[in-house]
Amino acid sequence: MNAGPGAGLPQAFFLPAAPGSRATGQRFCLFHAPAGTPRGRVLYLHPFAEELNNSRRLVARQARALARAGYAVLQIDLLGCGDSAGAFEDALWSDWQADARLGLDWLAAHASGPVWLWGLRTGALLASDLATDTATRAPAEQATGLLLWQPVASGPQALQQFLRLHAASQWLGAGASASASGADTPAKRLERGEPVEIAGYTLTPALARGLQQARLVPPVASGARRLVWIDTALQPAAAPSPATERQLDAWRAAGWSVQARTVTAPAFWQQTGTDDAPDLIAATVSALSAGDAA
Amino acid sequence: MTVTPDLLRVLDDALNLQGRALGFDAATPLLGALPELDSMAVLALITGLEAHFGIAFSDDDLNGAVFATVGSLSELVEQALAGQGT
Repeated sequence: MNAGPGAGLPQAFFLPAAPGSRATGQRFCLFHAPAGTPRGRVLYLHPFAEELNNSRRLVARQARALARAGYAVLQIDLLGCGDSAGAFEDALWSDWQADARLGLDWLAAHASGPVWLWGLRTGALLASDLATDTATRAPAEQATGLLLWQPVASGPQALQQFLRLHAASQWLGAGASASASGADTPAKRLERGEPVEIAGYTLTPALARGLQQARLVPPVASGARRLVWIDTALQPAAAPSPATERQLDAWRAAGWSVQARTVTAPAFWQQTGTDDAPDLIAATVSALSAGDAA
Repeated sequence: MTVTPDLLRVLDDALNLQGRALGFDAATPLLGALPELDSMAVLALITGLEAHFGIAFSDDDLNGAVFATVGSLSELVEQALAGQGT
């Protein structure tokens, strides 16, 4: 891929699945070439189902801002998501882990500098998986930084929220007078091995199981490792929540240098039409750049 | 003590109502009456309430009726808070 410094438009291309992978076909990618002196590489891992669509514009805006600051940024749509091959119901969690590795391999061959993994919501789970995975690579190819936006700490929690989306759409359809029917909940159907249709996505029992087993786990740091953790809130926010603090302690204990911030921004991954959050974008660029100088 | 003022703040944030929710009262209808309250927004509201009040709703307690009005939703939160104390 070639692009002059400061090229405004990302390069869109399709990356074939790694040879020998379970799921074949092309993965849609956007590459934002770095302007000026390259400062590092960033692989972006997107969130689950509709959250990908809701967050797409803001993420693209952030990727451009990082590219202007000297970072090479690759966005990859995972199997069955966005503009990539396959249907959502074809995907397993392990396919997405493989796609994340595929993206990182491409980035290793086309850009240089410290490797950052940037995950939004469940993308953070994939980022921590991949960071663990790279620990066996050559030092230059290990992920030394994680940038987590509003990370999901546990797969079961993300799954429960997605299943609640199904309930919520039923309440809306039935009107406020209806009460939930406990007879045939999506959770029960998944347990019986049946796929469920939620907000236009077919969730298979296999994918639900994969998500249910996913956890945000800090890999033990060998060498300098940085975690940038950014939560959002609409009100000018105080300290991180107790739940976030517990997570951060675990990362510190594993040897990571932790930088946590809460910035003023809407819950853009849950809303359509939010395409800017200047505080979030500025805080992200400065958090990544700050470490370079240190 | 009423949870309603805090609840309206969470509602306003979750639905990005720019302060409109702060004028709601217990009788204000929500589900089906507030166009911004689609299924993603209901989810955002549930998540926001759990985070703000430090509670966890059981899926059995959640149904369309509790999202009918500001008052019914306040009751749900008060019950969840009371349930924690026991």
